[in-house]
Amino acid sequence: MSAINTTSGLMPPDSASGATLHTIVAVMSFLACLTLGAVLTLSRLASEWTEGLSGSVTVQLLPSPQIGGEDQLSDALRITRAWPGIFAARALSREEAMGLLEPWLGEGNVLADLPVPQLIEVTLTPGRQVDLRGLSKSLTGNVPGAHLDDHQRWNRELASFAASSEGVGWAVLLLITLATLAIVIFATQAGLQAHREIVEVVHMIGARDVFIAGEFQRHFMWLGLRGGFMGLGLAILTLVAISLMWNSRDAPVGAQYLPQFISAPQHYIWLLLVPAITGLIAMFTARMTVLRVLGRMP
Amino acid sequence: MVRFENVGMRYGLGPEVLRDISFSLERGAFHLLTGPSGAGKTSLLKLIYLAERPSRGLISMFGRDTGAMAREELPPLRRRIGVVFQDFRLLDHLTVLENVALPRRVMGQTEAQYRADVEELLSWVGLGNRLNAKPPTLSGGEKQRVAIARAVVAKPELLLADEPTGNVDPDIGGRIMRLFIELNRLGTSMLIATHDQRIIERLPATRILKLSEGRLATTSDLMQSEAMHA
Repeated sequence: MSAINTTSGLMPPDSASGATLHTIVAVMSFLACLTLGAVLTLSRLASEWTEGLSGSVTVQLLPSPQIGGEDQLSDALRITRAWPGIFAARALSREEAMGLLEPWLGEGNVLADLPVPQLIEVTLTPGRQVDLRGLSKSLTGNVPGAHLDDHQRWNRELASFAASSEGVGWAVLLLITLATLAIVIFATQAGLQAHREIVEVVHMIGARDVFIAGEFQRHFMWLGLRGGFMGLGLAILTLVAISLMWNSRDAPVGAQYLPQFISAPQHYIWLLLVPAITGLIAMFTARMTVLRVLGRMP
Repeated sequence: MVRFENVGMRYGLGPEVLRDISFSLERGAFHLLTGPSGAGKTSLLKLIYLAERPSRGLISMFGRDTGAMAREELPPLRRRIGVVFQDFRLLDHLTVLENVALPRRVMGQTEAQYRADVEELLSWVGLGNRLNAKPPTLSGGEKQRVAIARAVVAKPELLLADEPTGNVDPDIGGRIMRLFIELNRLGTSMLIATHDQRIIERLPATRILKLSEGRLATTSDLMQSEAMHA
């Protein structure tokens, strides 16, 4: 006698309601992955920006009648390099300083006529507390025209911008999760209506509620997982395509300055959570819905 | 085994479809439930297999008052009753074998525990060669036999059948009734609801319950031949 499987799930594997739920979960998962990708990118950019700014300071040397330019530069470099916690201090050439202004003022003769201050790029020793206030006082007191810019104002504004953008991203993600929850509840109820016959028959032959709920939750968990992975696959393709497009030679001018989506490997692990969560949401809502409906039966 | 005392039943806020029903089903006996269409036979069966609750009265099953039982206590009680539904109620996406095995699966048994029994039972009802078929491909008589096999696979103490010959031709109907008689001989108590007079005449019923307009018109302990002349 041929072997016949007698342990198939009670739910039909390819029902109409299942196909609908499948598609909707795939779309919601796609949106959730894109949003999560954007949130993770913003989070990474925020920490890169703030780390970059807090890991360095700049000394500006404005022309002063009290001291010559070369003496001013050498005194400032000497004081800065000797200060505890300073890793390196390097004077920027005029070309480098003008290069920093080019994105705002453009190329041409305008820059040549401007009195660009001498700049010293100072790198702090990572992980060490540096008394920047003391360094600033020492420079101001000993080098006429010297001024220390610790980037605090930029740092605060960037951190605030990044935090609010991240907040918006998480809020969108929460809305998508709630919408997914509502859709799964709706689809589960529709599925339950479509398969009411199955529920009734199994109930009448003596199945306990947890047995029926178990069958439903297993069915809907797989639907949720499959839909979630489809959405994830589409989202990864989209993110990779965007990154490739921005990096290509044909990309519009400035596209290379746009942030790279999902550049860190751990971000992909975060994205893997999306189908896992859609599967869990589908499983638990199916369980709750079925138990509620069964609770109304004798 | 089953005892009804002044039971009434209504669907929602509608009129009572069953009124003042009192009777008892005896262990090992063959009972017939008769009456015209719409008399309340299916509703009465639903009360017995616990698909509905009475709106009044007392129902005692296997010595327990069902009204006093918690909902969680009902599934084990249902497993002591096999039901052959009028419209079979087979699950179309499952095979014949899977449909019949269902009551054993819900009892938590593994395939190894029930497979041989299910195959043997299906051979007994003449469907040993249709194990892998799906219900939509079966004839009415085959579906009916699958439904009967599913109802008896867990060896219930009481078998209920609602118009078991209503959807099959007379030959198949006769075979099904012989199957019921055989099951009864093996110790299963039976309650067959039917309005088919030919079936009533051919069955060795020890008790006949006759419903009319929601009331139990007569109960008879006479043998079928005597009941016919009553």
